[in-house]
Amino acid sequence: MLHRRLYQFLLVYTLGLGLLLSFKYLLDLSDYVIPGVQDIRKAATSVFFRYLMDTLDTLSVAVVGHLIAILMAGIVGIIGRSASWSGAFIRAAAYNIQAYPIVAVAPIIFILFGDGMVSRLLIAAMICYFPLLLSFIGVFAEPVTDIEHFYTATGRMNWRLQIGIRAFENMAKLTTVITGSATLAMVGTIVAEFIAATAGIGHSIRIALYQSDLSKILVALFLIGIFNSLYLFLLEWIGKRIRVRLDPPTGGRGARRGRLILKGKEIRNPI
Amino acid sequence: MRTFQRLQSSKWLMLLLVPVCTLLLFTSCTKKSEERPDPIRYRLKWLFNTSVVGDLWAEEKGLFEREGLIVEVKPGGPEKDAIKELELGHAQFGVASADMVIRAVSKGSPVAVIAQLFQTNPLQWIYRPGETEIKTPEDLRGKVIGVTFGGNDEAILRALLAKYGILEEEVELFSVRYDYTPFYERRVDLWPVYRNAQGIIIKEKLEGAGERAAFFDPHRAGVPFVANSVVTTKEMLQKSPEIVEKFTKALLAGWEASMAPESGAEAIALIHRFDPDTPLNQIEQQYAITKRMVKPSADFPVGTIDRAAWQMTEQIMVEQGLIPGAVGVARALAPVISR
Repeated sequence: MLHRRLYQFLLVYTLGLGLLLSFKYLLDLSDYVIPGVQDIRKAATSVFFRYLMDTLDTLSVAVVGHLIAILMAGIVGIIGRSASWSGAFIRAAAYNIQAYPIVAVAPIIFILFGDGMVSRLLIAAMICYFPLLLSFIGVFAEPVTDIEHFYTATGRMNWRLQIGIRAFENMAKLTTVITGSATLAMVGTIVAEFIAATAGIGHSIRIALYQSDLSKILVALFLIGIFNSLYLFLLEWIGKRIRVRLDPPTGGRGARRGRLILKGKEIRNPI
Repeated sequence: MRTFQRLQSSKWLMLLLVPVCTLLLFTSCTKKSEERPDPIRYRLKWLFNTSVVGDLWAEEKGLFEREGLIVEVKPGGPEKDAIKELELGHAQFGVASADMVIRAVSKGSPVAVIAQLFQTNPLQWIYRPGETEIKTPEDLRGKVIGVTFGGNDEAILRALLAKYGILEEEVELFSVRYDYTPFYERRVDLWPVYRNAQGIIIKEKLEGAGERAAFFDPHRAGVPFVANSVVTTKEMLQKSPEIVEKFTKALLAGWEASMAPESGAEAIALIHRFDPDTPLNQIEQQYAITKRMVKPSADFPVGTIDRAAWQMTEQIMVEQGLIPGAVGVARALAPVISR
């Protein structure tokens, strides 16, 4: 799976680069507009290690920001799932916050929290939390009637059990959206660094852009793609492991656990 | 009727419609272009503000039309690069800073400088004179200095530090963006600004808060880093010299007229029309400073290319490692209107 992810990325990157270079040679553009192979090679030699460290820095912030976003979306999704006034208010507030472009909100964040780690984390989380939120609200608001009916009828239903049942029944959907939003977390961190931070690959891209140095940006894009692929692979792998453990038809220990959850024991709600 | 309905629901109709629409669109575009020739596009470096008063004047007063040219003056911005647009054919003329030109030349771009608009670089550093004393460049030692990493202010500052033997460890460089809060909060002693644009606004804000403001000018400290100049391609110079000449003539006439003592009020009103967000009193101040930088004296011809300053700028960039080696920028200087 890992090699497939990397292979796919390398294919896309090579195609993109090939297109760019063919455009350059076809239109006879100078290295200032589109850098040549030699220029890219030189840039790669001079900045690769520094950019590698920057990308790792960005990735570490993106991972933490992603976790915060999952937590935020989970909490808002749980509160906002109900049809009550407070639920509707939370949903409306969450949607409204998302309506503001991050470039307009970012300066306020940087004024309040400075140009350090907190701002980068917050912006990364803000950018990737919305798709998570939509899925979480969708999953948590939709009753699994077949299973919930039993607990409701026997008067044993509580909110934790309800969330547990709905999350379990939609585990594939949740892991897919969590994996998908990882790319947005990376994008969010890079945007934050580009706007105002003083570290990370977004900051380096900004400097390269100031210097009109597309070759450095291409090196940065390569590293971002590689590390993003690795992170996505890791999330997919975790998601797969979770599904294997919880999905009854797959058998083994996972199957037993799945049944235990359905009986309510794993979620501390004895029948 | 049934046949028509069947046809309507079929994919074939769509397949038929798409090329027909494309053809219609193409025909309408062709007709339009036959009626009116494509305008000459002139890409500015920044948004419409006081720094482009002469360009606006030339367009609004019909100076280009008088030369038989249809010119579209397009605002620039942080992501716009006139030199790239020239090469890609999206513009025929543009405004670029010297560092952009020298970088482009070092990468084989066929760019040519036809006029230099600013004789002094408007980039300066604002500071509070009561709290930060900068009498000589050596006074920068121990200060927290704002700098846009990768920007031309970084190159200028580093050149200054090198010129006066100030080690990088002796100052603290602070990464700046568009938000001035760190300066207002006194976390930074000197903040880079364009003297004829944000310089006025920040100065006013400080004065409004009962504080004083002063500016540190690197040009006066012996680092003449060239700013905005008008550029085109060498191909344009060779293939359409008459267009280049007419364009330059009209443009510089616009600048001269907008800088004339009797044009002040009209020029300020013109800027305000294009930049309504900046109050008139601030535009007045911006205009006065811009005038000093573009036309230092009454008999100074606007657009004069300062070759020595260009060579100095190139030298600074080589010394700072911003370009791999000397590029002979003088070869890219092609003043069209010689006086």
